[in-house]
Formats: sequence, structure tokens, C-alpha cells
Amino acid sequence: MDSVKVLHKKIFMTAGVFTFILAMVFLLFFDSSKSLILGLVFGVLISGLNFIDLSNTLQRAVSMSPEKAQSYTVRKYFMRYIMNGVVIFVAVKTPHIHVISTVLGMLLIKFSIMITNLFNDKQFYINIFKRKEV
Amino acid sequence: MLNETTNAATAAVNGKALILAASAIGAGLAMIAGIGPGIGQGYAAGKGAEGVGRQPEAQGDIVRTMLLGAAVAETTGIYGLVVAIILLFANPLVGKL
Repeated sequence: MDSVKVLHKKIFMTAGVFTFILAMVFLLFFDSSKSLILGLVFGVLISGLNFIDLSNTLQRAVSMSPEKAQSYTVRKYFMRYIMNGVVIFVAVKTPHIHVISTVLGMLLIKFSIMITNLFNDKQFYINIFKRKEV
Repeated sequence: MLNETTNAATAAVNGKALILAASAIGAGLAMIAGIGPGIGQGYAAGKGAEGVGRQPEAQGDIVRTMLLGAAVAETTGIYGLVVAIILLFANPLVGKL
């Protein structure tokens, strides 16, 4: 499963770069930069763990029978969902972790997937303006 | 008698209580957003397992594509969760009274 590991590395590298850029923006332009950066790092770390768990789940699910794979994936999804809920709850309740930057950190993996796999392809932009009738 | 009861109930419900009740209902509705991605991921994994069974040499490609789709789909559930938790534990509307 080397191709999956390469994908992990690419996405984590992009997420790391974006975390650094956002942390610099928080540091330069915001007063409460400490709580913002702490929330951002917290969110990115949790979403990274979630991504690894999702990857392990899917790698295991494809070797099962379809019915078992379906129930196993749904079960694991709800476990991750509860974990995300706990993380957001902690961010809301703790005064030195900013909740908005935590949520931003949790969504950074999605942005890095979009950037590394969709928006870096010229064909994507060409297809937007291409006529679909033919 | 009925009129007196209605008046007493109206007096008991103040603005803050009404906002909190509506927020709790809203949070419950927002949590419905978490069900969709779960069902979708389950279907995708089931079809992925079928695909690997049919063509085992394509396992790496199937897992990789499914992983990207599932990770993007999962964030839509997080949006609903954030709305629900903010409505319940850090409600911005109560301070507006």
C-alpha cells in the first residue's frame, strides 16, 4: 500500500504548509494570536489522526464482504464523529483554545485534498467552461 | 380557568428561555447532517469491497480514490456538528437580549 502512504505524505505536507502560513497570519494580524495558533494546531493534529483512522478503516474494509464493509465503515465513522464532537466541545469550553481556528484546522485536510488533487489540474478549469451537450 | 393558566404560562416564558429552547431544537436538527456522510461512506466502502473482489490488482487505486472522497465527505458532517455544539454551549443569541 505504498501509493496510499505517498498520498498521506503529500496531503500532510500541504496541510503543514497551510498551518504554518495561517499561524503566521494569526501572529502578525491578530491580538489573541496564542489561542488562535493553539486551536489551529489542535484542530490540524486531530484531523490528521482522523484521516489516518479513515485510511486504516478503508484499507481493512475493502478486504471484507460488502455488507460487513458497509456496517464496519459506518460504525467507525460514528466513532470519529463522536471524537470530533468531543474536540469541538473542549475547544468551546477551554478559554485558551479558540474554537474558530480549531474548526479551521479540522477542515484544513479537506482544503489540502482539494488543492493537491483538484485545483492543481488545468483540465478542471477547462471543464468548467466546456459545453456538456457533445 | 384556562385563561388564567395561559397567562401564567406566558409570564413564565421569558425571552432567554425561548431562545434556549429554540436553540436546542436547532441543535437537534443540525445533528441530522451527521447521518448522511456516514451512510454515504458505508455505501462507498461496500462498493469498494465489491470492486476489489472483482479486480484485486486495482486495490491501491480503489482505496486511494475512496479515501479522498470519504475525507471530503466527512467534513460536511463536521459543519453540522459545529453548528449544534455552538448553539448548545456557546450560544451567541442569548447575549443579544
